[in-house]
Amino acid sequence: MIGSPDVVAFTKEDDFGDSFSDPLSLPEEFSVPLFTHTANANPWTKTSFAKFSKDFILISEFSEQVGPQPLLTIPNDPKVCGTFDLNYFSLRIMSVDYQASFAGHPPGSNYPKLNFVEDSKVVLGDSKEGAFAYVHHLTLYDLEARGFVRPFCMAYISADERKIMQQFQELSSEFSKASEIVKLGNRKAFANELEKKLKDLEYTRSVLHKEAELQKMNNGCYSTQAIEKANELANMEKSIYEHKDLLRQITSYPSRKRRDMDFVECETEKQADTSVSDDALNGNHSEVAEKTDRKSSYTPQLIKAKSAKCFDKRLKTLEELCDSNFYHQTLEQLNVIEMTFRGDLCSIYTSQIDRALLSKQRVTSFLFEAECDWEDEGTSKNFNFTSNIPTVPVLHLSGEPLSLESYTTCIDLDHIKPGVESMEGPPESSTSDITQETSEAADTETKGSFSSDKSIEALGGVSPSSLQANYFDGLERKCKVSIASSFENASHSVAVPRRSSDGNLVPMDASCCIGQDSFVFEEPLPELAQECCGDTVVNQEPLSLFQGDTALQVNYIPEESALAESPNMGLTFSELNTCVLSEDVAKINIEDASDSTSYMSASTSSDRAVSPFTYGSVLTLKQKKKAGHSALRFIRQYPFAQQAIFCLLSGRTLVILGVDEGMVRKLVNALFVFVPNLGKYCETVQPWLSTPFQLTDLQRWKLIGLQRAASPAGSSILHSLNRYSRYISILDCDNKTLRCPPYRGTLISHLADHRTQIKRGSTYFLHVQGMLTQLTAKAFLYTFCHHIHLPMDINEQGSVKSRRTNFLLQLGYTVEESKIVQYLSELIKQHYVQGSSKWVKQSFCFNYTTSFLYKI
Amino acid sequence: MSAACPPQSPAVAKTEVLVEDWCPMLAATFAYWDNILGPRVRHIWAPKGQGLSLLSDGEVTFLANHTLNGEILRNAESGAVDVKFFVLAEKGVIIVSLIFDGELKGDKNTCALSIILPQSELSFYLPLHSVCVERLKHIIRKGRICMQKGYNIISMLSSEIVPIMELLTSMKKHSVPEEVDLKDTVLNDDDIGDSCHEDFLHKAISSHLQTCGCSMVVGSNPEKVNKIVLTLCLFLTPAERKCSRLCHPNGSFKYDTGLFVQGLLKDSTGSFVLPYRQVLYSPYPTTHIDVDINTVKQMPPCHEHTYHQRRYMRSELSALWRAASEDDISSDNLINAQDSYTPDLNIFQDVMHKDMLVKSFIDEVFLLKPGLSLRSVYLSHFLLLLHRKALTLLRYIEDETQKGKKPFRSLRNLKTDLDLTVEGDLNIIMAMAEKLRAGLHSFVFGKSFVTSMQERDLLMSF
Repeated sequence: MIGSPDVVAFTKEDDFGDSFSDPLSLPEEFSVPLFTHTANANPWTKTSFAKFSKDFILISEFSEQVGPQPLLTIPNDPKVCGTFDLNYFSLRIMSVDYQASFAGHPPGSNYPKLNFVEDSKVVLGDSKEGAFAYVHHLTLYDLEARGFVRPFCMAYISADERKIMQQFQELSSEFSKASEIVKLGNRKAFANELEKKLKDLEYTRSVLHKEAELQKMNNGCYSTQAIEKANELANMEKSIYEHKDLLRQITSYPSRKRRDMDFVECETEKQADTSVSDDALNGNHSEVAEKTDRKSSYTPQLIKAKSAKCFDKRLKTLEELCDSNFYHQTLEQLNVIEMTFRGDLCSIYTSQIDRALLSKQRVTSFLFEAECDWEDEGTSKNFNFTSNIPTVPVLHLSGEPLSLESYTTCIDLDHIKPGVESMEGPPESSTSDITQETSEAADTETKGSFSSDKSIEALGGVSPSSLQANYFDGLERKCKVSIASSFENASHSVAVPRRSSDGNLVPMDASCCIGQDSFVFEEPLPELAQECCGDTVVNQEPLSLFQGDTALQVNYIPEESALAESPNMGLTFSELNTCVLSEDVAKINIEDASDSTSYMSASTSSDRAVSPFTYGSVLTLKQKKKAGHSALRFIRQYPFAQQAIFCLLSGRTLVILGVDEGMVRKLVNALFVFVPNLGKYCETVQPWLSTPFQLTDLQRWKLIGLQRAASPAGSSILHSLNRYSRYISILDCDNKTLRCPPYRGTLISHLADHRTQIKRGSTYFLHVQGMLTQLTAKAFLYTFCHHIHLPMDINEQGSVKSRRTNFLLQLGYTVEESKIVQYLSELIKQHYVQGSSKWVKQSFCFNYTTSFLYKI
Repeated sequence: MSAACPPQSPAVAKTEVLVEDWCPMLAATFAYWDNILGPRVRHIWAPKGQGLSLLSDGEVTFLANHTLNGEILRNAESGAVDVKFFVLAEKGVIIVSLIFDGELKGDKNTCALSIILPQSELSFYLPLHSVCVERLKHIIRKGRICMQKGYNIISMLSSEIVPIMELLTSMKKHSVPEEVDLKDTVLNDDDIGDSCHEDFLHKAISSHLQTCGCSMVVGSNPEKVNKIVLTLCLFLTPAERKCSRLCHPNGSFKYDTGLFVQGLLKDSTGSFVLPYRQVLYSPYPTTHIDVDINTVKQMPPCHEHTYHQRRYMRSELSALWRAASEDDISSDNLINAQDSYTPDLNIFQDVMHKDMLVKSFIDEVFLLKPGLSLRSVYLSHFLLLLHRKALTLLRYIEDETQKGKKPFRSLRNLKTDLDLTVEGDLNIIMAMAEKLRAGLHSFVFGKSFVTSMQERDLLMSF
C-alpha cells in the first residue's frame, strides 16, 4: 500500500518535468501562477520590493527649460525615497498633459487668454518598480512662462496599489484642498505681478512718449528714430492692453470655483498677510491697485520691449509662484496628508470602520474608547430617532410600552444624587498630581458639603428605598470586625443610621465602618462578606479616626416618591448640577493645580516623562496603544493581575502604593486601559498622589498612584488608606501584594492570561480592545433589555432583581462578572442621563466583600 | 507599407451594445500603440442609443489615445497588466485603463483596454472598481493569447465588456443602498423565527461571514429573497453593500462574478442553474442560500477556493492556447477541451463549523425591543467586535511570523490567546482578516493543503 510519506517524496518539483517541454503547453507569461504565494512570497511581500521605505509625497513640475523634474518630497528625508528614481518617476507622471488646457494666444484671437482648468487626478503605477501613485495635476500661472502656465503635480506614492484605490476619495479630497490653497496663492501672486508689470509698462510708455516727443522736436515726425519710437510706443500700448486684459481675466476668476474653496479662505484668514484675496481681485481694478499701492510702494522701472530668451531667464520657484504664506500652508496640508495615510492599509481601513461604527454607539463608546475616535460629529445628545444612525432610548420601568418621546422624559431616577455629587464640578484637580494645598482645599470643600448634606451615596440598581433596606439588612447581620492596627491601637465606634422599628433611622454602633489599619490580611474574614454590591446606598461618610464626633446628622436621599413627584427631577440631570464646569474650565483648573507645587513632593515631576498622561490634553488612542506594552508586562509579572483588573472593571478604586514614583507610574500606565469611563483628559486616574486622599476622591478617581513615604505626610497618607481601605483595593508595589475582593470567572482570564503568547504590546492592546468591546456590548444589552427591568407587579421588586441576576447568569457570567456588567450598565445610564458631552461623574460605588491578600 | 497592411481608415470600428436600462458606462475602447502612427483606437463599444449625446466618437477616440500617452516609457514584465485610473474634470469623465503588451501584426505593442464613465458616477463606480478590473484582467489574459495566435481579440474582449456593461446597468438600479434600514431585514422581527427559522438564520449569517461576506440568495419569492439579501448586507461595510445587488422582480439577473451579496430568482420551473465557472472566479468563496427550502451551503475556505480558481484559470488558458482554430475558442468548446482538469462540481458543501459569535448575537439581539434602534446599536457593537478581532488576529500572525518571514506554526496558541477556540469563530475572524490582508489563508493553511492536493494528484496519476 502506498502511504502518504511515500507519496510526498514525489510531490517535489523534480527533473523529469524539465527534460521535456511540451510545445503545446502554455508559456508562463500567458498563464497565472497556481499559487498566489510561492517560494518566499507571502501576503506581506507584495509591498516589500519597492525601493523606498515608506509612502511619501512628491511635487514635480514640467519645466519648460529642463522638462519634468522633481521639486521636493514630503517627508523631506532622502532615506524615505531610498534608491527610487525620482527623475524617472517624475517623467512618467508628468509625461501627459491630462488637463488638455490651453493658455496663450488661442487661434483667431489677438490677445492671450487664461484658461481656468480644473485639476485632474490620475492613479497609475509601475509594477516593475513596485511604485503606485495618486497624482494630482494642477496648473499655476506665471507671467514669464510660456503660455503663462506652469504645470505641476503632487503625487502620493505608495508601494501598496490597493491603498491608493481604496483611499482614492479621501486622497482626492485632501489633495484638492492643498491644490486650492496653492492656486489661491498663485492667483494672488499672479495679479500682483501683473500690477507691477502694468506699472512698469505705463512708466516705460511715458518715458517713450517723452523721448518720441523729443525726437519729433529734434528730427521731425518722419525721421527713422521717430518712426521707431512710434512703433515702440504702439507695441507698448498693445502690451498694456494685453496685460490689462490678463488682469481682468484673473480677477474675474469664476465665482463658482471660489465658493468651492471657502475653506481655504477661512484658513488664510489666519495668515498675517492676505492683502489680495480673490474677492479683492474680483473687485475694481483700481481698487486693487490702490490696495497694492498702500501695501507696497513699488517703484516702476523701465523695461525692454523684448523679454529675455527662454533659456536666459530664471523660472520662479514654487514658493515665489504662490506667495510664501500659501506655500507654507500647502506644505502643512501635505504634511497632514502624509501623516494621515502613512502606515498599513489594514490599520487605516479598520480605524475608518471603527469610527463609523463608534459614531453609532455614542451611548456606550465613552466607556473604553479614546474620545477623539467617536466625538467628531458633535457630542450632544442629539439622537436622531428616524435616521439610520441608531439611537437609544432611556430605560423606563413602567409596565406599559412608551412612545419614543416619552422615553426622553421618563428618566430612571434611582441614581440621581443630591448633595455631594451635585455640589461637585468635574474633577478640577483630577488629572493633575494633587498637592497638600489643593488636597486641603478639597477636604474643606468636602467637609462643607458633608456638613450641609451629610450624605454619601453608592450606586444601586434599584430604587433608593429598597437600597436602604438592603443596606440595613446587611448591617443588621452585625458585621463587626476589629483589626489590630499598626497606627492606632484603639478601635473606634462610629454611628451609622439604623432603622428603628417605626422606620426612622437612629444612630447605631458600626465598628465595621472603621478603617482597617492594616491592609495585609493573611486569611479572609468570612463574616465580613456582606453582599450589598450594586444595590447599596451609604448615607454617611465613614468618620475620621481623629474625629471625635460619634454621631453625625444624616441627610437621607429623598424618597423615590418624592423624586417622582418633583417636577425638576424629570429634567435632565445636568440641570441639577449647578457646578458643572465646561471642559475648558476644567482644563484651566487642572493647569492651576499642577502649577501649585509648593507642597508637592520633591519627586512628583521626576517621572513625568514616562507617564502616559499629558495634563490638560486629550488622551489619544496612540497613548493607549503604547500602554499595551506595560499592560502585557504587568499581566506576565503579576499573577494577581486578573484580580486587579477585576477591581477596575467593577468600579472599585485601585490604589497603587509605592515608594518609587517611576514604579508606581509604570503600574498606573499598565492598568489605566482597563478603567471604564476614563474621560477625555483621563480624569478618573490620578497617576501620582503624595497627599492623603478623601472619600470624594474615590468617587472621581478609580486608579490612584499613591506615594509611600516615611514622613508625617506619609503617615497621614497611610492613615487615609486605612480609613477607606474597605472601599478600595490596594496594590503594594514595594511588597508585591494586592488586597482586593476575589474574582472567579473566565472573562478576565481571556483578557489577562499570564501564559499568553501575544508578543507585542500593541497587539495585546488590540486584544484588550476587542474584549472590552464585547463586554461593552453585553452591558448595553443588559441596560436596554426591557423585560428584565420591568416588574411583573408594582410591588415585586425582588423578582426584578432575580430576573436581572438570572439574565446575567444566562449570559454566562459569574457573580463577580455580573458586578462588572452591572457597573458598566450604571455608567451607561448615568452617561445618558447626564448628557454625552460631559464626562460621567461617577458615583461612589463599593461593596462589602471580603478582601483577600494576594502575593507573588 | 506592403499591400498586406493597408493604411487604416480613420473611422474606428464600433459595436453598439443593447442594454435594458440606462447604462452608466459611456464607452469602452481598445487602443494600441502603433510603432509608426502612435496611439490608435482599434475598437469602441458603446451602449446603444445613449452616451452619444455626452461624448462623440471623436472625443472617445481622443480620450482613448490619451490613456496610452506616456506608455512609451512602460517598463513592465511581459504579461503584466497595469491599471490606470483617470478623473478628468475638464472632460467630465473617469477612465479606467488596463495597460498590457500584446502582439499585433507581428510587433509587440502596448495596448490599453479602457472603460469611460461620466464623472458624476465616480462614487457609484469606485466600489465596483475591483470587480470590473479583475474581470477585465482575465479577459485580457485570454485576449493576449488570441493576439499571439492571430485570432480576433475584439470578439474575445466583447465577451466580457458586454456583461460588464450589463452589470453596471443592473447595479445602477438594483444595488443595495449604502445604509440598510433594519426595518427591511429579518432582524426587525418581533421574535426570532418569525420570518425564518432560527437555525437557518444563524447558519446563513455564520456561513456568510465565513465566506468573507460573499453570498448568493436564491428563491422564488423576490421579497423573501431581498429580505435575506438586506439582512446579510447588514454585516458588510457600506462600500461592500454598494457592491451587492437585490434580485430583479422579473428574474432577469444572472449570477455576476465579484459581487458580495446577490439575490437571484429561480425560473418558472423552480430551478436555478448555478454557473460553476463564474462562481469559481469570484475573489472569495461563496455561500449559497436557498430561501425556499432553507438550505445553506458554502464553498471551501479561501485558500482552497483560490487554489481551485487558479487551476481552472490555467486550464482555461491552456485550452485556449491549444485551440487549433478561432472556431474552437468559444467557452463551451474550451470547457470540453479541459482534459487535464476535472472540476469538482460539489463545491458547495454543508456548513460544518458551528460558531458562538453569531449564535450568541442572534440569541441576544432579539431580546432587545424592535423599532427603537436598539438592535442597530447592538449590531454595530457586534460588527466592531468582529473587525477588531480580525485586526488582532492579523497582528498576532504578523508578530509570530515577522510579517511572513517565518512560517506560522502556532495556531493552537492563537486560538487560546484570542479566545477563538470554537472553529466557526476562527473561520469568521480569519475570513474578515483575509479581506484586510489578501492571501492570509494561503499563508496560514496553504502549505498543508497544497501538499495534500499534490499527494492526491500523484496518487491519481498512478
